Amino acid sequence: MNYFVKGNPDLCIGCRTCMIGCVVVHEGKHIFEIDPDSYTFHPKLHMVKTARLSVPVQCKHCENPACMAACGVNAIYQEDHRVLIHTETCIGCKACMDACPFGAIDMVTVAGVRQKDGSEKKVANKCDLCQGVAGGPACVRVCPTQALTLVTEEELEDLAKRKRMESARSTFCEVYHCDEFSYGGRE
Amino acid sequence: MALKQVQTTCPYCGAGCQIMFTVDADANKIVEAVPADGRTNEGTLCLKGHYGWDYLNDPQILTKRLRKPMIRKGGKKSPLVEVSWDEAISYVAEKLTEIKGKYGPDSIMGTGSARGAGNEANYLMQKFMRACIGTNNVDHCARI
Amino acid sequence: MGIPEIEDAKCLLCFGYNGADSHPIVARRIVRGRQKGMKIICADPRVTETARISDIHLQLKGGSNLALVNAMANVIWKEGLADEKFIQEHTKGFDEFLKVIENYTPEYAAEISQVPAETIRQAARMYATNKPAMILYGMGVCQFSQAVDVVKGLANLALMTGNFGGPSMGIGPVRGQNNVQGACDMGALPNSYPGYQSVTDPASREKFEKAWGVPLPDKVGCPITHVPYRILQEKEERKRIHAYYIFGEDPAQSDPDLAEVREALDKCDFVIMQDIYMNKTGLHADVILPATAWGENEGVYTCADRGFQRVRKVVEPEGDLKPDWQIIAEISTAMGYPMNYKNTEEIWNELIDLCPSFTGATYEKIEKYGSVQWPCRDKSMEDKGTPYLHKDGIFATKDHKALFYGTDWHPPLEMENEEYPMSLSTVREVGHYSVRTMTGNCRTLRNLEDEPGWVQISPQDCQKLKIQKGELVKVLSKRGYCISRCLPTERVKPGAVYMTYQWWIGSCNELTIAHLDPISNTPEYKYCACRVEKIQDQEWAERHVKEMYNDIRTQMGIQPGKGARS
Repeated sequence: MNYFVKGNPDLCIGCRTCMIGCVVVHEGKHIFEIDPDSYTFHPKLHMVKTARLSVPVQCKHCENPACMAACGVNAIYQEDHRVLIHTETCIGCKACMDACPFGAIDMVTVAGVRQKDGSEKKVANKCDLCQGVAGGPACVRVCPTQALTLVTEEELEDLAKRKRMESARSTFCEVYHCDEFSYGGRE
Repeated sequence: MALKQVQTTCPYCGAGCQIMFTVDADANKIVEAVPADGRTNEGTLCLKGHYGWDYLNDPQILTKRLRKPMIRKGGKKSPLVEVSWDEAISYVAEKLTEIKGKYGPDSIMGTGSARGAGNEANYLMQKFMRACIGTNNVDHCARI
Repeated sequence: MGIPEIEDAKCLLCFGYNGADSHPIVARRIVRGRQKGMKIICADPRVTETARISDIHLQLKGGSNLALVNAMANVIWKEGLADEKFIQEHTKGFDEFLKVIENYTPEYAAEISQVPAETIRQAARMYATNKPAMILYGMGVCQFSQAVDVVKGLANLALMTGNFGGPSMGIGPVRGQNNVQGACDMGALPNSYPGYQSVTDPASREKFEKAWGVPLPDKVGCPITHVPYRILQEKEERKRIHAYYIFGEDPAQSDPDLAEVREALDKCDFVIMQDIYMNKTGLHADVILPATAWGENEGVYTCADRGFQRVRKVVEPEGDLKPDWQIIAEISTAMGYPMNYKNTEEIWNELIDLCPSFTGATYEKIEKYGSVQWPCRDKSMEDKGTPYLHKDGIFATKDHKALFYGTDWHPPLEMENEEYPMSLSTVREVGHYSVRTMTGNCRTLRNLEDEPGWVQISPQDCQKLKIQKGELVKVLSKRGYCISRCLPTERVKPGAVYMTYQWWIGSCNELTIAHLDPISNTPEYKYCACRVEKIQDQEWAERHVKEMYNDIRTQMGIQPGKGARS
């Protein structure tokens, strides 16, 4: 099963530390040494704020990705519990962006790469769960309020299990006069 | 590359977070900043704590780091001219002495700094204003 | 109270304090408290992050603070929720206070604050019946011409419910800048020596005269916000300010009514600027003294909850720089008052012995414990400092009793009018700090937010003005104007706009008013009348902003071709 990073609006304070953490880990720490205009700042997650909600939104790493199905050049693939974009192959057709039901993909320029006509190359950009980065997704690590968590298969199953327990308890507890269901049982 | 670690207090806001820096001592450059386990921050930092040390590299985005003392030798609106510390200090001392002699100590105002300078520099500033100049005209941006 | 205690309160009244933008790591405690079941009442005209997760959001109209606070006191008393035992044993002046709050029925306060009377009642009940209850307040209280009265009003609430003298209770100002507490502790104030010892108290003065070996003045000095007046308008020759030694501040960016500030700096005979970066004040300075920055020098800061903590040198300074303390010492020595210190610890040792509340906080102790909250009176390692003040309801007054102060509400000075129909309040940008010379020169923080910044405005007002998200607009007041970008948001109420104060192009202090609280002398940054105007030619506006940015960078000493955006 693919993993994904989930934001919790009860904990999020909208500070966007996650967005910078994302750029720093993908561009590399050398950005603090170079010309400030020679790298690109394209976070792979976005802070969404409405009247009463603040939460970062990013790719859900779907099991049957609409973006992958829509891609005409096979630039999107699944590997190591995640959905990835091969940016060298990407031709910037925006079909994935259009297909994604969550708005998790945007089109960004690639720093320093020019196309034949001199224009900047543009490719699809989205969360890659910090592939190859020790310690896992940077957004999760830098968030000051622990509002982001990496959801793995085990955690997801555990969550579902807890919810089933809760559902059973609220439905039957009064009838069977028991306060607690224990884990283990027939689950 | 000789790496060393230094823990210090964040220079932004009053939360007093602790940051652990890894420094390349030979190159005199910060390699990494990670949250340290301080009393108030318990191993967390916000965006300014994580990424707010970069100005030490003087990237010249908004302003330029000051590197030499400067004086407007031709009076107001004239260009700033780089001078030695000796010249700058004696110029300031002479001008302040002259103004104090002419208009009295209460004609001079000094500020403390609520930002990077630290407590010791603030203590010396108010001591300077009170004991050397002879006025209580010292204040800082707590009220602004 | 200490920052870690916040999350263990049963109830938090967060008044005019937006932790998420000003202190994210304090906001983290609020979020954690919420997870532990803490009730939250948030009084703020905007839907802040704290308001968003609060039980009760008192979305008051700007400038109505005291009416709301007094009405909460009124409800607590009328409904029998006050802690009468605490009032009797630990306080004075309650009867006089009652006479003032008598008139502040929730219905009356509702008219002024636009918060429904029933919501005010609910908030008062929630605060009074969930103990320990803590109050945090910020600039939404302090930056009004009626500021000190509101602080006292909030203290009244804590006193009448017995919320003093234990953990996770009381009332806490969350200080904005990293060392604003420290600058106060060190006596960078016109009325007190280090350690809050009054300059008008003969015994204190005598102590400092003896220690410093010179007679000291006995009159309270000039507050920083009076400086423009004292330069431009003071009639009495010996009170007029002729020299201004500005150390680590940028009044030409941070003070209200910048046009007046610039005029004052130009008319002042001698302006000294001591700083780390060229800034707007530098354009008017006669001498510039370059100092080492945070990260290049040693010392102690005091954080918002009175915690002394060490700052250490991380990298070696490059260039012809000196630490701030050394520059001051050299000027003093050159003027015939010698100051000889080898390092910051020598200075620290001198000052802690002069301040009973700090005496025990040696470098050794701060090193060992990481953080020492004053009062710390004893040098022995057993005295680890004081997490919260007024323990067991014993207050720092002569008879150890706290005093109730009741005052009536009055509106801000400059109300909306025909020409300027909206109100402007200045607020903070989370990724930038103060006047932005530091964070504006940090690559990724600049990437997140840059000039000319945003003006937060309700979607209803945007519709009326026919402006859209991202459009450049003109914001004007009686005193000046600036250009900013329109940010429609449902988090603000119609009729009010908000701008963050660190932009140099979208410089909202061109608009703000230098109207001061009579006691604290803090300007009314949170309220003045303004108008927002659509700019028809957006292409011109974008070009203009770009040109202004380039001009600023050139003025700040960046040569074309160097650094960013060249």
